[in-house]
Amino acid sequence: MIIRIARKEFTEMWRDGRFRLAALIVFSLLLVSLLTGWKHYRAVKTQHELAQAETRDQWLNQGTKSPHSAAHYGVYAFKPKLPLSLADRGVDNYVGQSVWLEAHKQNQFQYRPAQDATAVARFGELTAATVLQLLLPLLIVLLSFAAFAGEREDGTLRQLLSLGVKKSDLVLGKAAGVTGALGLLLVPATIIGVIALALAAESGSFAQSLPRLALMILSYLLYFGAFIGVALLVSARASSARVALVVLLGFWILNGLIAPRAASDLARRLYPTPSSFAFAQAMHHDIEKGLDGHNPQDQRAEQFKQAVFKKYGVTKEEDLPVSFAGLSLQQGEEEGNQVYDKHYAQLWDAFQQQNRWQQGASIAAPLLAIRSLSMGLAGTDFAQHRSFAESAEQYRRYFIKEVNGYMAVNAKGKDFGFMAGNEAWQKVAAFAYAAPPTGAVLRAQSLSLTLLALWFVLAMGGAIFAANRMKL
Amino acid sequence: MLAKIMQHEWLNLRADRTLWLVGGLFAVVIAYGIFNGTAWVRFQQTTLQAAAQDERERYAELKEETAGIAAGTRQPGKWTDPRSPAVVSARRGARYAMMPPTALAALSVGQSDLYPYYFQVSRSSKQTFINNEEIENPTNLLAGKFDLAFVMIYLYPLLILALSYNLLSQEKEQGTLAMMMAQPVALKTFVFGKIGLRAALILVLAIGLSLLGFLFSGVNLLAEGALGRLLLWIGVVALYGAFWFALAVVVNAFGKSSATNAITLAGLWLLFVLLVPSLVNVAVTTLAPVPSRVEMIQATRRASAEATTKGSQLLAKYFEDHPELVPANGQPDMNDFYTKFIAVQTETERLVQPVLAQFDQQLAKQQTLINTLRFLSPAIVTQAVLNDIAGTSHARYQHFLSLVDRFHAAWQQYFNPRILKQTQLTASEFDQVPQFSFAEESVGTIAQRALLGLLGLLIPVALIGWFGVQRLRRFPLAG
Repeated sequence: MIIRIARKEFTEMWRDGRFRLAALIVFSLLLVSLLTGWKHYRAVKTQHELAQAETRDQWLNQGTKSPHSAAHYGVYAFKPKLPLSLADRGVDNYVGQSVWLEAHKQNQFQYRPAQDATAVARFGELTAATVLQLLLPLLIVLLSFAAFAGEREDGTLRQLLSLGVKKSDLVLGKAAGVTGALGLLLVPATIIGVIALALAAESGSFAQSLPRLALMILSYLLYFGAFIGVALLVSARASSARVALVVLLGFWILNGLIAPRAASDLARRLYPTPSSFAFAQAMHHDIEKGLDGHNPQDQRAEQFKQAVFKKYGVTKEEDLPVSFAGLSLQQGEEEGNQVYDKHYAQLWDAFQQQNRWQQGASIAAPLLAIRSLSMGLAGTDFAQHRSFAESAEQYRRYFIKEVNGYMAVNAKGKDFGFMAGNEAWQKVAAFAYAAPPTGAVLRAQSLSLTLLALWFVLAMGGAIFAANRMKL
Repeated sequence: MLAKIMQHEWLNLRADRTLWLVGGLFAVVIAYGIFNGTAWVRFQQTTLQAAAQDERERYAELKEETAGIAAGTRQPGKWTDPRSPAVVSARRGARYAMMPPTALAALSVGQSDLYPYYFQVSRSSKQTFINNEEIENPTNLLAGKFDLAFVMIYLYPLLILALSYNLLSQEKEQGTLAMMMAQPVALKTFVFGKIGLRAALILVLAIGLSLLGFLFSGVNLLAEGALGRLLLWIGVVALYGAFWFALAVVVNAFGKSSATNAITLAGLWLLFVLLVPSLVNVAVTTLAPVPSRVEMIQATRRASAEATTKGSQLLAKYFEDHPELVPANGQPDMNDFYTKFIAVQTETERLVQPVLAQFDQQLAKQQTLINTLRFLSPAIVTQAVLNDIAGTSHARYQHFLSLVDRFHAAWQQYFNPRILKQTQLTASEFDQVPQFSFAEESVGTIAQRALLGLLGLLIPVALIGWFGVQRLRRFPLAG
């Protein structure tokens, strides 16, 4: 019975010129967005790989200089993109593309692509994710607002039920019909998407992308299912097709337009973050006065000097078997690192609390859940940006320590006057970054996934419940 | 007759729940939008005050230390000597260049959450201080702020459409239209009456509530230029609203059912507010792609490496070109850290200049493209005008950057000769160190940009309105 209802619904939708037009528009937009996403991914990937190779080359061939100047020269780190980012650019336009790793300082990422775009980009970028998250639900609304309300107005609902059709079968049949109609555009779009992904990724990273892709498809199906459920529920309850349409459009606006902005505003209020001015001043203060606030920099330097003298059993710098400058530079780094750890962790934790809160707010709007899941799986959410930033910072600490260590051992008696050559720079390993495994991403997104599944179950259950009790 | 129709329509609307529900919701989102915009402006102001305070404290310290050294009570540090122009022109005496929010900044956050609004200008190259954007969770930046501009661009058209999608279709469905038309009244007059009343109601609501909001949130409407900006704001809100009313009339004039009208209008809203802007964005980024910043970083690095290896040569050449800068105590010290630094920096800036120029050129090209393509959607036009009025547009940021460039040049011009001649600053000289003052764009410049936008709204409104009136003549009263 369910199949028969589904087939009838499907045939009706297919014959409807309005549906064909809307589906064609959505399909073309999906195509355009996949194409531009693919092009963008290729371009950025090539740039970043070239730049990463060049920055390494510059480091290796910087020639004869003081190790400390080399540490100041530093290297740049560029965040690699995952192939799936072609479908969802996430926050990538709003975080810096690269970070300068140098002595003494943990720098912020620089050059957010959004700064080089025009204000029109703030209307939202055309990506597969925006089409799927915003436009497809609208198509679902168009397909299903009249499902019950329309049949009731036409008088066919009474006839249908007099045949003894179970109301729950009717709901499932109609849901299946809508799904079938959506399948007409989603199946080819997915195939094209997978081809784009295969073209974008090398064989190894393509295989790695598959679990993420499967999860992404599942998440989107849950999201669409939830929308179909809500639409059928409203249609069963509404007094007329017009009312059902207006209510569903209202829900769509709330879900797609109001919720993301309101949720981020509220999150910001609940977990405030400092201005960059206050952030920099707080770090500066801690570095000068010490983390406990009672241990100024010059006192700490003196204490360290005495400790080193004691360790080597000497009373003068000249008697040390190593370069004191190398040791004290590294000591400065260690103290700075503690300060950076404290402040950056506080800041980034606040961001993640804000994001977590927004995931929780998806209880009111499923878009928040799918948005978070989708960019998580595409590797373009803040959590994965942080993972890269932390990895880059670890590398900074590693190579600065190497260079300072080299200076401590070799620069005895010359300190800053000591010059090292390319053989010293080769001792530093290249920077390598591996994106977090799918399991870790899924754990971070568990709240979104749970709430999305809940939306799906409640919406479908609600639709059946409402259909069972609907007035004829 | 028109007055009678409007009066009757008012009675009708008043009795309908929709008006109160939608109007109430609108009042809430306007209030919330203004509240949010104001909070962002306060945040910026607080930050600017803290920065100004920091500068004052540093200068007081410099003066005190210099006086102490002169009196022999303090010893200057090697790298922190307050009398050294090289030290003062770097961190210790660096001054802030600030772009304060305008009186109406709370209207539209615009691009102001992406661009820096103050810089700490020092003798170092522009690249070292130019990336001073505010810290923000990128997820929030992606969502955008819930400000009054968002309410006006996205929600205000929906309010208009909610009140007018069934302007005629409902009368027809209820059978009252035929009765009405049996009276000696033209359909055109009838529609004008209905639309006129709704437009008056919504405009009074939108403009009145916003004005109230401004007053409550402490916006100073008497500030210089505020009134001009406010008039522009009223103009754009009225014209943008007129566009959506005109569309509603045209769609109603086709005589389809209420549900069909609702779908058609929702589709048009989607087209103009979401689809056209995102397609315009695709077009702009494809036609005028910005060169890669990654490539720029590398180019800067190559240039600075090249300049550094030639350091001593550059310095010798520099003094050849500028013999007047040779220090009074004799030969220039080729190994002096600061003198070499200036020579290397000057050369690096010269080498990087073409790369940066290419960026500016391409960004300008994007902006020119947008200026043409924006007329494809009244939402884009409105966004641009609102940002211009609020002073949160790209144009004002560019204006700020050009002032900063000029200030940076003046700064180097003041300090570089002093560094090269190795003269020492005295306590009284600290007050003569160049200071930045932000010269606001004139209201005339803004109006010039905004008026073109207003024209871009007025022409479609006139065309669509005219078409609607033509269509109404053929309105199928029966059937």
